[in-house]
Amino acid sequence: MYSYNDYLSNDYLRNTTPSMMNNNQPNLYTPEEGYNKGNLFADLYQGYKDYQPVKLRATNEKDALFLELSRYAFAAHELNLYLDLHPEDTTMLALFNDYRTRANKLMMDYESKYGPLTISSDELSNSFSWQKDKWPWEGGNS
Amino acid sequence: MWAYQKRLQYPVNIKKKDLRMAKLLVTQYGGSNGELAAALRYLNQRYTMPDNKGKALLTDIGTEELAHIEMISTMVYQLMKDATIEEIKEAGLDPHYAEHNKALYPTDANGVPFTVTYFATTGDPLADISEDMAAEQKARAVYENLIDLTNDPDVIGPLLWLRQREVVHYNRFKELFKHYEKMFNVKNDKKMNFPTNQNSNNQSGNFLDNMSQGLNNMSQFLNNFTQEM
Repeated sequence: MYSYNDYLSNDYLRNTTPSMMNNNQPNLYTPEEGYNKGNLFADLYQGYKDYQPVKLRATNEKDALFLELSRYAFAAHELNLYLDLHPEDTTMLALFNDYRTRANKLMMDYESKYGPLTISSDELSNSFSWQKDKWPWEGGNS
Repeated sequence: MWAYQKRLQYPVNIKKKDLRMAKLLVTQYGGSNGELAAALRYLNQRYTMPDNKGKALLTDIGTEELAHIEMISTMVYQLMKDATIEEIKEAGLDPHYAEHNKALYPTDANGVPFTVTYFATTGDPLADISEDMAAEQKARAVYENLIDLTNDPDVIGPLLWLRQREVVHYNRFKELFKHYEKMFNVKNDKKMNFPTNQNSNNQSGNFLDNMSQGLNNMSQFLNNFTQEM
């Protein structure tokens, strides 16, 4: 599990102001563990019987980049739902912005290498590659 | 407005066809506790939420439910796509084939088509959000029933993941419900409580005191009125 203190020891938040320190913070999983489980919030996790969540692994470079994108996009979305109810939580806002910017960069990176995931992608400027690749239900990118 | 991303929220890669499971699983698309009902429920309720917390949460969870529709649809599609006519008949999916061939169509596990009567909007945030909490719990229970009915790890993986999303959404809605309870001061509002001995002499009055005062006033008014006649 990924504690709030672990997070503060990251370079990213080394200069965090003391006013952002707060003991009422939720316990979070890492984006990797949270994505596997379908839940970033360790206190809310509730398993079913003895079933274990799948440990998602990538077998090639394309899958690895896509999996990384999925993890950070999911983590940002989880914090989005939390921030909807706690917009004043500056610590979670900083983490949201970290995950959000990582997800955006990974998305651009993936699109530049493997084609557009959104119709607003710059990758469409030379050719209309939107319908070139397989669709998600055909195993397009997972 | 909405913008589509050409990717699933969580990977679905089912390698073995399973008509029986497709027939059951479709209920999480078009059944009473399915993802389509969830998306429409939240995206209709959001307009009349009393503050931005509720409007934001219902918009964002409602949007996520659209991504879950895509995951369930993908699972049903992959479970059916290589089926022969014989297999379709054997699984009892021939009525589906007659109407829709192998196309997606929102029904429950009995083939009953989706209907908007599966959800409500009342304009009352406490009534709406408590429906949402119940809906998330019912969807979680149905995911568990479906997990019990298959041995295919390619099916169980995404079902476990979707089940966990119901757990998270339930907890967010519970938090929003408590926030609205506090906001509307439900527990302290004497007009909404049945009168007790402790507050019967309270200046602000209780329901029965106010009503009996109202009846006195009315009978006074009627007396005056008949005297004037």
